[in-house]
Parts: sequence; C-alpha cells; structure tokens
Amino acid sequence: MKLKPKVLAMVLAGGRVDELNVLTYYRPKSAVPFGGFARVIDFPLSNLMQSGLDRVAILSQFRSFSLINHIGSGAAWDMIGRYRGISILPPSTGHSSSSWYRGSADSVYQNIDFIKYHAPEVVIILSGDHVYNMKYQEMIQYHRDKDADLTIACLEVPMEKAHRFGVASIDDEDGRTGGRLTQYREKPSNPNSNWASMTIFCFKPEVLLQVLEANNREDNSFEFGRDILPRLMTEQRKVYGYKFYDYWGYTRTIEEFWQTNMDLLGSDPKIDFKQWGIRTNLEHRGIRDFQPLKIGNHAQVQDSLIYNGCVVDGSVERSILFPGVYVKKGAVVRNSVLFFNNVIGENTVIDKVVSDVNTVFGEQARVGEAGTVSERRATVVGWNNHVPGGAVIGSDCTIYPELSPEKFNHEIHNGEIIR
Amino acid sequence: MMGVNKTLVLLLAGGVGSRLNVLVQTRAKPAVPFGGLYRIIDFSLSNVMNSGLTRVGVLTQYKPMSLMKHLGTGAAWDFTGRTRGVTVLPPKTGFKDSDWYKGTADAVRQNIDFIKAYPSKEVLILSGDHIYQMDFDHMIGVHRRKKADVTIGMMVVPLEDIHQFGTGITDKNDRIIEWEEKPKIARTNLASMGIYVFDTEYLLKLLEENREAVDFGMHIIPTAISRDNVFAYPFDSYWRDVGTVQAYWQANMDLLREDSGISPELWVIRSNAESGGEMADRCPAKFASGAVVKNSLVSAGCIIEGEVVNSVLSPGVVVAAGAVVRDSVVFDDCHIGQGTTVDLTIMDKQVAIGRNAKIGFGDKTVANEKYPSHLYTGISLIGKKSILPDDVEIGRNCIISPLQAAENFDSLHIPDGMTL
Repeated sequence: MKLKPKVLAMVLAGGRVDELNVLTYYRPKSAVPFGGFARVIDFPLSNLMQSGLDRVAILSQFRSFSLINHIGSGAAWDMIGRYRGISILPPSTGHSSSSWYRGSADSVYQNIDFIKYHAPEVVIILSGDHVYNMKYQEMIQYHRDKDADLTIACLEVPMEKAHRFGVASIDDEDGRTGGRLTQYREKPSNPNSNWASMTIFCFKPEVLLQVLEANNREDNSFEFGRDILPRLMTEQRKVYGYKFYDYWGYTRTIEEFWQTNMDLLGSDPKIDFKQWGIRTNLEHRGIRDFQPLKIGNHAQVQDSLIYNGCVVDGSVERSILFPGVYVKKGAVVRNSVLFFNNVIGENTVIDKVVSDVNTVFGEQARVGEAGTVSERRATVVGWNNHVPGGAVIGSDCTIYPELSPEKFNHEIHNGEIIR
Repeated sequence: MMGVNKTLVLLLAGGVGSRLNVLVQTRAKPAVPFGGLYRIIDFSLSNVMNSGLTRVGVLTQYKPMSLMKHLGTGAAWDFTGRTRGVTVLPPKTGFKDSDWYKGTADAVRQNIDFIKAYPSKEVLILSGDHIYQMDFDHMIGVHRRKKADVTIGMMVVPLEDIHQFGTGITDKNDRIIEWEEKPKIARTNLASMGIYVFDTEYLLKLLEENREAVDFGMHIIPTAISRDNVFAYPFDSYWRDVGTVQAYWQANMDLLREDSGISPELWVIRSNAESGGEMADRCPAKFASGAVVKNSLVSAGCIIEGEVVNSVLSPGVVVAAGAVVRDSVVFDDCHIGQGTTVDLTIMDKQVAIGRNAKIGFGDKTVANEKYPSHLYTGISLIGKKSILPDDVEIGRNCIISPLQAAENFDSLHIPDGMTL
C-alpha cells in the first residue's frame, strides 16, 4: 500500500523550561510565539510536512490548551486526510496504568499502543522546541541505509557550550554524512566532543519498544538523552549519528529566545521563513482576520518584521511585532520582540524587551537601558501586565504575568525579578 | 431563527464592471482585490455573516473562476455547517440552448428553484459590488414591523450623482410613493443601494405575474410601488460604488484616513486568505534598514527596502532599494525594481517592473485616448502579470494591458493617455 505511511513521527511538545519561566507560564515551550506570526512548533511541523511525513503524534501534558488550539485539525500542515493526521496524545488513565508522563521516554512508552496500531517501519521522535530547517527524509534514508537501530541527528556546537547538551563521539564511517556512535554522554561536565544531539531520533520500532520496556521495568528516570541512549550504547546496539550543518536555534533562555528571533533580521538573515516553507495555523488567534499593517505619518520602521493587524505611528528598529501591536506616536521600540496586542504608549521607549501578549505600556515609560545591545540582557515582561505611564524598568529584569499596577511604583533596577 | 422564519440571501455577483478596465479583464468586479487583503465582495459577504444570515446563493455570470475560487467552501464567512451554505448559481441551459441572465430580476427568476429549495420568509437581494457595512438583521426587523412587501436600502447622495441610481420619493413613514430609475432631472436625492428585502411569497408572485420584467429597478420595483407596500430603509454611513477607477482608487485611499468612516477591522470584514492560490501563511512584512514608510497599509509578505507613501500594498509586494511608491494601490506579489518610481498607479497582481523606471508622471489632464471616460484624473493602470523593462517611462492615464512581456515595449516611453 503506497498511501499508507511507513514513518510515524512523534513530537515531544510537553516541555517547560525554568529559564523561560515567564513565557511558559501558561503554555508549553513549543507553543511560545516566534518570529511575528508563528509558534516554535511550526518549525518541526513544517519540516515534517516538507519531508512528506504526515502521520504525526504530539506528546504533551503541560498547559496543553494553547498547543491544542494551535494544532487545530492539522490542516495548516496538510496533515488531514485518509492516512494523514496529527493526533495529540495527552497522558491518560487506563486499565493498567494511570500517571502523568514521567519524562520524554515515558511519554512515548505510555503510547506504545499507538505505535503498534500504526505499525510503522521507522519511528522518528523529535523535539518541538527548536528552530531549524531539516529534510528528515535524508536522515531517514541514512538510517535505513545503515540498517541502524537508532540514528540521532547531531550538530557541532562551540566546545564551551557542549556541556549543556547530549554529546556524541562519531566515528569516520561516512565522513561528512555521519558515522557510528562510539560514545554518548548526557550534559557532561568535561565534554570530549562537540557534536551535540538535536533531539531527533530515528528508531527501529522493535528496538524502541524493547528499550522502552526495559527502561520502564528497571530504571527510575525516563528520558531519551539521560536513559535511553546510554542504555542502547551499553547494549552495543547499532547507533548512528547523522550530521547536520545548517542553522539550529535553541531557545532555552530568554537571551537565546531573543537572539533566535533577531536571527530573522538583517540583510542576510539566518532564518528564512519563505525559503524554509514555514506554515502556521492562521486560525489560531484569528491571525488571518487582521487587516493590513497600518503605518502612520510619524512612523519610522527599520530592519523589522511586522505582521498584519499592527498600527505603527512611532519608531520601530530591529524588532519583531506580532499581530495587534500598537506603537503610538513618539514611542520607540528597539531590539524587541512584542507578542500579540501589546500597546506602546506615546513617548515610551523600550529597548531589548521580550513582552508577552496583551501587555500595555503607558506613556513616557522606559523599559531596558540604552547602549550597546550585546552588553545588556533582555528584559522579559509576562502577559496581561499594565505598565503605568512614567514607569522605569532596567535591563535583564523579569516581570511576572498579571501583576497589580503598584508593583511598578518604584524604579525597577537591572536584574530585578518582580512577581 | 428556526424553521421558515428565515431570510434567504441572493447575492448578485455577475456584473462586468467594465469601467474598471484591465482590473476586470480576468475577473468579475466583485472579485477585484481591495484594501490590501480583501476583495470587493468580502464586504457584502461579511455583512451577511455579521447579520446572522447563513444561507446564500451567489449569482455569477461574467468570468466567475476567480470569484468561485475566492468563495471556496464559504468557511471564511462561516457558511459551512448543517444549516449553512453558500451556493454558486451560474446561468444554465433550460428550454433554450443557453439562458444568460438578462438582468437582475431575470437572474433571480432563473433561480426560483433555489428559492423554493430553501423555504424562507424573506429573500434579501443585494449586489457584491459595494464597500459598506450594514446590519441586514435590523433591516429585516424593520421590514417585518412595517409589514412591508418590499423594503429597499436607500441613502442620500449628491444631486449631481443621482442620475446613476434608482430614486424614490417617500412619505413621512418612509413609504415609497414614487420611483424613477436613473432620472435625467433630479426630483430627490434619495438613491437605491440595490439592497432589497422581499417577502418570499410576494417576490415569487411578482416574478410570476411579470414574466417580461428583467430588472428590479426598471420593472419590478415600480410595479410593486404602484400596487403594494414598499418602504425605504434609510442608511447614512460610508457606502461606495467602486465601479469606476477613480472611485475605486479613492475608496482605497479612504482606508488611510482616520476620519473617512471606513474600517475593515471594526466592520469585521472577513476574506478568504487562501483564494489567491498561494497559501496565505506569509511571513510578517519585512522592513530593511533604509526603508521609509508613511501613511500606508502594508500586508504580510511584503519586503520594503525603498519608500512607500500614501499607498495600499497587498501581500508579497517587493519595493527594492531606492524605489518609491506613492499614492498607489499595488496588488499581490508585484515587484518594483531598484530606483523605480511609481506614482498614482493601480497595479494588478504579479507585475514586475525593472530598475530606474518611472511609472505615472506627466500631465494628469491628458485623458486616456482609448477610454477617455475611464481614465482622466491621472491614474495609470498596469494589467496583471505584465513585465516592464528597466528605464521604461509611463505617463498619466496610461493602460498597460495584462501579460505584456518586456519585449513588447517598442519604445521605453509611453506618453500620457496611451494604451499598450
């Protein structure tokens, strides 16, 4: 049967990261808005669509509402049809077990029935948290050519950052394309390789089932990086590394999230929505229904991305504006990422700020210091805040969501956390 | 509203709108793009949706492909569901080999089957040609309260324009006591907007009894006024017939003025973003360093490196560095090359203009030679998918017809009023 998909994709979308605290208060990391109209999970979903993989499961348990809303019917990624579809798999109660997902591996283990039902030839498991453009079918082809039990995608990171990742030593079997893993260490304190795992795993289904069952039976921790990969290495399974050389944006901290957004700007941006073929669900938040961006007589706009539904009558430089942002006359928005429906009051200046949805800044406020952008950290403002007129907030501040207005009565200094 | 206590909508979308010239060469007037993201018919369809009406027939005739693609399933206006639907009603062969619609009333008569298939209390008949917001639910309520046979949406227009309209003289209860279709000498300034609420049974009877009547304004309405209860439903907000190039351009420019009274966002106008072919999930508009943009509407997917002033840009328009677009309406995916100036021009989809060209400059008073009644205020038109070479100079009131290749330009200078 030609139509029936041979590859089942499972997207790990339940994650929530402490450092992104404010932005993941009400949504999983994969549903965090990105780039003026999209969500982070649009990248893996669009990659799957462009790779012709359209039988997809999404594993999520943390604050899934925003994510479920975003996925909709799956039609946005053409994943609706006789053999095409997206299934959201939350934790469930049942006859034999009922528990929250205890980790990434456990979330797949609890859905073994789903895998068996689809009886795929390859299961590709990937994180919904990263910004990149990858043709998965090439990696799957390599996985098949090697008759591997597991193939993981890896990319070179600076050695001083390697300790933050799962790190693989890869032999020279296939040169630039990849090779067999000789060693795998999860977040080692003294890494001896800088090939980092991108959290993209191609499994032979029977090997996946065996290792998940063993993990469930014998271990107390249930993570792919920490538990499953070491277990397969110990068992001397055929584990291969597939090398990836293009852009990979990871967004574990506010600073990284900010930087990844900034990678959309400039004359030769690292992220190209159009070329990458990024699709999003235009029904979510009704973004298809906004009128064109309205630019007033006092506006100045430089090196920025601005979506439909914004009204700009102030100055916007090196910034990304989601639908419904209003930049009033005399306001200055610099080096910032403003989610849906922010309002920047007259003569207010904000610089290097990430502001979540529905936040209103009054008149004459100052948020973020001026000066060299690389020398100060971004300030993050949680959703549904009303920053009163005249407020002063420094750089590297964390403003929690939905605060009462008196929290802004005093000047908020660099690095302060207001909750 | 359950059972037959409902209103069926018939939307007349067959008009040629020939005065829009090259803009209607490949599409019917209701399908002409408007305001960056919309088509003209979106205003009528959204008014229907926002009035809570759910069963719509769209009568098409002239070049319906673009319109049919735009309607799609009707989901964009919430017309999909158990008791909802939009049905395209083209002319069909019957007793004769072909029965083209001969007029508004004839078109409705030829779709009596449709009217009978969906039992209704009233039929709301409107055109897909106008830019306005109106609550038809309120109009139908007034129609019912007055126990009218017919209610006509009417508004006051300048006396000098009255010759284009059906006109009515009303008594103090808004009952229409006299009717003149397109009068040469104005006796009133109250004009018909072409929006009719008919009691369904009354409409069927009238169409049956007057088999020669082909037009509502000319035949059906005068007959009804002479015999029965016909009321005016007064309307006094923004309403434009964008049937001429000047009116079309002006209505687009009205979008840029705060006080003009037109607002697709406040009016909750919806469009089918997928109808253009390319999926609509374009990325945000991108502004390069050095871009200058004033008083304009810019849609998603545009890339602005140059200058855009007082203009309305549909999705995917590229304005290269050093290019200037002023007082213009630019449809989807046009490309304005480096150093090119575009002034007072309406540009259809996928036009590509080379470098250092000048589009729209010269003497605004030289009307178009071929179509002096279409273009006489300085606006130039560029047809769909034309490719204009580097350094070309195009005057005022010029027309470049669709699909012109760069090689077709024998001269790089197209003088004022010329058509290519």
